Amino acid sequence: MRIFALALLCVLAIDPAAAKDTGLIFVSNEKSNDIIVIDPNSYKVVNDIKVGRRPRDLHFNADHTKLYVACGDDDVITILDVATVKVTGKLKTGPSPEAFVIDETRRRIYISQEEGSSLAIIDMDHDAILKEVPTGAEPEGVLLSDDGKILYVTSEAGDLVHEVDTASAAITRDVVVGLRPRRFAATPDGKDLWVTGELSGAAYIVDRAKFVVAGSVPFLPPGMRKADVTPVGIAMTKDGKTAYVALGHAAHVAIVDVAARKVLGYVLVGKRAWGLTLSRDEKTLYVANGLGDDISIIDTASRKAKVSVPVGRVPYGIVVDE
Amino acid sequence: MSSAGVISFLRSSGGGEAGRGVRLVLAFAALIALAGAPRALAQTTPSTGQPEQHVKIGFVTIENDPRYEPLRAYERIILKTREHPLTGAEVGIDEATALKRVLNTDFTLERIVAKSPADVAPAVLAAIDAGAHFFLIDAPAEAYKPLAAAVRGRDVLLFNVSEPDDSLRRDLCAAEFIHVYPSRAQLMDGLVQYFISRKWHDLLILEGPLPADATMTTAFEHSAQKFGARIVAHQHFKPGSDPREREANNPALLSAINRDFDAVFVADDTFDFARTVPYHLVRPRPVMGSIDLEPVAWHWTWERNGGPQVNSRFDRKSGGRRMDGPDWAAWASVKIIVQSVLRTRSVDFAKHRAFILGDSDFDGAKGLAMSVRPWDHQLRQGILLAAPYEVVANAPIEGFLHRVNQLDTLGDDEPESKCHLNK
Repeated sequence: MRIFALALLCVLAIDPAAAKDTGLIFVSNEKSNDIIVIDPNSYKVVNDIKVGRRPRDLHFNADHTKLYVACGDDDVITILDVATVKVTGKLKTGPSPEAFVIDETRRRIYISQEEGSSLAIIDMDHDAILKEVPTGAEPEGVLLSDDGKILYVTSEAGDLVHEVDTASAAITRDVVVGLRPRRFAATPDGKDLWVTGELSGAAYIVDRAKFVVAGSVPFLPPGMRKADVTPVGIAMTKDGKTAYVALGHAAHVAIVDVAARKVLGYVLVGKRAWGLTLSRDEKTLYVANGLGDDISIIDTASRKAKVSVPVGRVPYGIVVDE
Repeated sequence: MSSAGVISFLRSSGGGEAGRGVRLVLAFAALIALAGAPRALAQTTPSTGQPEQHVKIGFVTIENDPRYEPLRAYERIILKTREHPLTGAEVGIDEATALKRVLNTDFTLERIVAKSPADVAPAVLAAIDAGAHFFLIDAPAEAYKPLAAAVRGRDVLLFNVSEPDDSLRRDLCAAEFIHVYPSRAQLMDGLVQYFISRKWHDLLILEGPLPADATMTTAFEHSAQKFGARIVAHQHFKPGSDPREREANNPALLSAINRDFDAVFVADDTFDFARTVPYHLVRPRPVMGSIDLEPVAWHWTWERNGGPQVNSRFDRKSGGRRMDGPDWAAWASVKIIVQSVLRTRSVDFAKHRAFILGDSDFDGAKGLAMSVRPWDHQLRQGILLAAPYEVVANAPIEGFLHRVNQLDTLGDDEPESKCHLNK
């Protein structure tokens, strides 16, 4: 009886209807077309939601009542109600939407469209594409400045980072970085932009004022060759001191001292690690292993992977409801 | 230098509403006229702002190239169509057009059609005189020797986009060429690496009667020796249905040998015999070479390293055709030229040549970064091992190591190369 009560308590504790700060981990899976929801304590899969074809980037709105998911093969952003975990709406995009940011103040979504070689600006309340900005081929990573005035987007096949003025929806400057630039992190002082160069095996640091490459950090876990190191995902702590970079086929995450621009160490993860997300307290790092169909959960203090949890097929992005 | 061999000259612009492909058809004489008046040419190019430079890329094919004849069944049913890789180059031009604001450069593709392999060299020389430095060569091997002699010492880079012939790398060994299409040695090394990695060491060879079949078999035998595979038997087949020759035309009898084997390699340029080999062997064994598991430069099902995006851009541009090895090589060649403009920010051809032939890395959507081998100007690249609906593996296969670059486990590495352009 006591066990039953305990079990019931557990169920209540993870009941999505209980809303905020559930700690639930949401993982998008490109090939199984679903979002897997994982309990943060038991690491058990508590929900599996079909959201559309090829779900990729995903983000909560500010109060975590809605989850937006870019569905690459349906050309839509699917909206999930977090409490009921049901699909409640869709926003049309251009061809093959991939990564996006939400500007709650202006009620806009900025999304890269891989096949369309463009960036779409979407009205998040009215299912309308407000503008499309042509980019270099295969745009991917997007990052919005804190004031919402400037947006950065990479062109994977063009080796470029574009600077976009969001008011006029025009590209203002371009900077050539390393081979196959993928995703971003920004230092909290607003000075630098860190961009991963997948085929250069390095992260490039772009000076946002001058818009030039100001430095780079090459990655090479012990015993690996440069060609095996394909950095993609990047996350930075809120104090701007530490960055985590997922090294793709090298199956490691690099931990970087941002100020010194030096690698502090490497953590072993799974196959083709791309997407990564820090927990709010920054004690935990979640890494999506695209070709391992699992995620690695890393304790950032000890720099060790605690556990790997099987998810759907080809996990892409991870967000935590907290 | 006669221009009689050149039948037409087509210009396809990458500017404006790119995607329409070939737009203007000019007589060859008009080319010469335009060449003398570069400003007139610039005016025909739609431009936003003032491009600082104009890069012309010649795309050289010959009329009735037998390598592009469709492969037919005897009822005139087409088994495989084969197309010139112009669309591959056009996809590369479209990508460059998207970068126009950054590059300040107009890229145009100029199609040059020669009447025969012998007419390729004069056609290329005429275009060099008209100001072109970059050419995509889509011609059979016999066109290369006179072409190499004609362009020796000129400011020109010729990108081989469709010819795997090893002798072009080993014997001709010309500094003006870059072999973007993989050599036969690279292709066969990739294939054999896979069978070794599966521990399928014992192989049966079925070789056809054509010189092309012999060339392919020789390359395969060399690869087998290099990686330690055993050739348990080497049979020569003769296509036909004559019962008196059944020992040579029946796959079951050809494979009925005393020793067991793990897999069969078939070399058949006509494809007609090769297609009768699977399921007709005396033992249930996989087939590779001309059918089933083929080593290729590219495949339409490749789904890693940005492959789906490249395939999808090609699919849109071609109206639904599937991207093939030569298409990939033409696309990659344009990408290499564009990359050189992007990185050198120069109009100086010497700088482009130094960049491309130097230690520069290029992205070919096949994983490992590609670069040009300094000794024979072969592009280092992964080799896809393709079944009809699946890329089974991307060679170099895991475990085949090299002291410098894993990609140099495929094809002629520097120590065994006959060609030393860097010395």
